Amino acid sequence: MIPYSRWLRSRLFRSYLFQFPLIWVLVKAGNAYTAAWGGAPPLAFRPFTEVACCAIELFILWVFIRRNNEDILLGNLGLSWVAVLLPLVPIHFVLSAAVALA
Amino acid sequence: MNEPLLAADSIDFAVKNRMILRSAYVDAVPGKITALVGRSGSGKTTMFWILVGLRRPLGGQVRWAGERVERPRLADLARRGLAFGPDRPFLNPRLSTTDHLRMIDEEPSVAESYEWFGRPTGTLSGGEQRLSELAVLLACKPKVLVLDEPFRGLAPAVRDLIAGTLRRAATAGVAVLYADHDVEQVKNTADRLYSMESGMTRRVEGFRERPLAEWYHAWPQ
Repeated sequence: MIPYSRWLRSRLFRSYLFQFPLIWVLVKAGNAYTAAWGGAPPLAFRPFTEVACCAIELFILWVFIRRNNEDILLGNLGLSWVAVLLPLVPIHFVLSAAVALA
Repeated sequence: MNEPLLAADSIDFAVKNRMILRSAYVDAVPGKITALVGRSGSGKTTMFWILVGLRRPLGGQVRWAGERVERPRLADLARRGLAFGPDRPFLNPRLSTTDHLRMIDEEPSVAESYEWFGRPTGTLSGGEQRLSELAVLLACKPKVLVLDEPFRGLAPAVRDLIAGTLRRAATAGVAVLYADHDVEQVKNTADRLYSMESGMTRRVEGFRERPLAEWYHAWPQ
């Protein structure tokens, strides 16, 4: 219903852009801890693990969105959960790759 | 035009083997305000959540302009022209009403604008929040407006404002459907009425003239 470009410029989407890296830090910390416990490099980029972590982060964000009933607001704007969460996926991989390379 | 634009037909729904809805029906007709009235716990909210695609029924169907909607979802129905206001706040509490309106239209123009449209919605009173939600929903230029208990817990002045807004929307051709448990409010606001009791619905004709006990005998007096 609303143009997708306007959604990506909206303050609501920007609030999700702010929240998502915070969730990424928490999940990354948990992932690094379990990796170190298993004797693996804690911050290495492991594709399958990254996909799983990304799914967990998106799930956590969606739980927060639903807790505020914002899924109903987004639905009224014609935005499915896929349309809302998909633009955040590259952020996870960029952050994880940057940490692995650092 | 008296054909329903949106209808939920023969809806069955159960939770843990307890039937919540039994072959229930409700619809929304363009240019009319339709009310679904029933006691708390009679199944109104569940019916609306099924109607707008937020719950899956055990049986029955949702129809848009007479055609069955396969696997209805709120986002898909919104793209056709549905706007849904639940019985709880749904705007982002940190953003203002104006921020929400700007998502829909970069130069928002609303029929009624208030000074508190610039404040975060989380800081507004219940009535202000309800008016903000209604402004956001109407900014979507809906063909069907479905509201769950829009008058609940509001002062009479705010009720009048909301009733006036619903009437103007209906006059403009919007199909308005709302749930309520206040029979007097329904008598003053609605053009058409469905009564719900124990998950079953029935259409009530002449509800303004007929005594309450005739069409809603179970209602506590």
